[in-house]
Amino acid sequence: MANSDVVVIGGGIVGSCCAYYLAKAGLKVKLVERGSICTESSKACQGHLFLWELPEINVKLGRESKKLYHQLAEELDIDIELRDTGSMSVAENPAGLNTLKTTIDELHKYGVKCELLDAKEFIKREPNISPQIVGGGYFPEDGQLNPLLTTIAIAMAAQKMGVEILTNTEVVGIELSKDKSSVKAIITSRGKIETSTVVNAAGAWSGLIGEMVGVNIPVIPRKGNLLVVGNVPDNFINCKIILASGYLDSLKGDKKVAVAANVQQTSDGSLLLGSSREFAGFDKAVNPEVISQIAKRCIKFFPALAGMQTIRSWAGLRPYSPDMLPIISDSAVKGFYVASGHEGVGITMGPITGKLITQIIMKQKTDLPVEQLNVSRFAKKK
Amino acid sequence: MSKKNNRTYEGDSDIKVENPDMIICRCEEITLKEIIQAVSDGATTINQVKRRTRAGMGLCQGRSCGRLVRKLLAERTGKKVSEILPGTVRPPVRPMPLDIMASLEEE
Repeated sequence: MANSDVVVIGGGIVGSCCAYYLAKAGLKVKLVERGSICTESSKACQGHLFLWELPEINVKLGRESKKLYHQLAEELDIDIELRDTGSMSVAENPAGLNTLKTTIDELHKYGVKCELLDAKEFIKREPNISPQIVGGGYFPEDGQLNPLLTTIAIAMAAQKMGVEILTNTEVVGIELSKDKSSVKAIITSRGKIETSTVVNAAGAWSGLIGEMVGVNIPVIPRKGNLLVVGNVPDNFINCKIILASGYLDSLKGDKKVAVAANVQQTSDGSLLLGSSREFAGFDKAVNPEVISQIAKRCIKFFPALAGMQTIRSWAGLRPYSPDMLPIISDSAVKGFYVASGHEGVGITMGPITGKLITQIIMKQKTDLPVEQLNVSRFAKKK
Repeated sequence: MSKKNNRTYEGDSDIKVENPDMIICRCEEITLKEIIQAVSDGATTINQVKRRTRAGMGLCQGRSCGRLVRKLLAERTGKKVSEILPGTVRPPVRPMPLDIMASLEEE
């Protein structure tokens, strides 16, 4: 195969965004994907633009990324169903409300717009919520989009700018220079591509790609189960996105399985119910027990859901990073870059990740400080 | 089993689909025109058509339109119908009330 300035590994939201911004900067790019565009985590998620994940750097990444989505929505050929919906978090007991209050106080320090609501106000805004709740929070900056169309549209736009997209092409090895200090080529199931620059955007599989060059990337798969409820009345949820207040707790990696309640109404009206975080290796099978718990939790918050029809359930693998921060960086191997570890905010942070990786590769000043996101934080001490 | 009752029957459907505004996926109201656009944008499998158009995402989960989409894909990619993989089937396969889903773990 012909050579290339940059090869991006992975055709999910992060890889597609990297290819898009690299091509925009004038580089000759190839994107290699084992399956087809948008076949793993990016197609298995809800499409929530989540702008209040702590710590502060995640808030900043989310905010910049949402701005980029608004620009992209203007440029792309496909309507990505981007909406400024806001989101709400609901508390079922005083402890939950207290946690939410602490979170909101911290978010205010970083300039995030959000407010605490009492039960009466919450129920007024969302009449379908259970009267048992004790209050909640409102986050007007959050948004929603269709993750399938978004990933496909960005990949298509990248292709239009000259990116060569190689699907059904698996990376089997990376060839380094004799002293193992820099990238020379990548070896795929369909041949070798000479290149001095590789971006590892392989999501839950990025640790395996790191092993090929001896860079430690401790990203592991964290499964999420979702189910979809069809034939739902329009505006069943006015705000479109409601998370139970235990959501932030479920993100912590201290348990094997954590189940939250996360209800979102998409542009076509269906409800996506989640969410769960489960360490189960690369197994993508739906976990019936987890699905059942999600259903139970969601009915608790929305009693009217009980008789509504579930039409499908599925699971996908998020790229879990042990310190809850993404990796957007160069590495000890010259020409080997990493864009991974976004876990539940890959869709949220896709565009800013693509832009920052491009700036890092082009040795330009980055839009946000990226030191904290460098993969060297996981380097094994010698 | 008769062809009519065989849900996995792979033979050619004899329905002629020519009118671009003809609805192919009834649940999501997706037309022939939209399916053809997805195929010319690069979709080569039922799952890829579904991600782009929503055909097969509705209440019947592709039970009605799956065969037609498969036939269209075969025609437009020059493959045999049997070479086009069917869409992925996921639980609960048929619509099930959410409270029943919620009670599964106790069994």
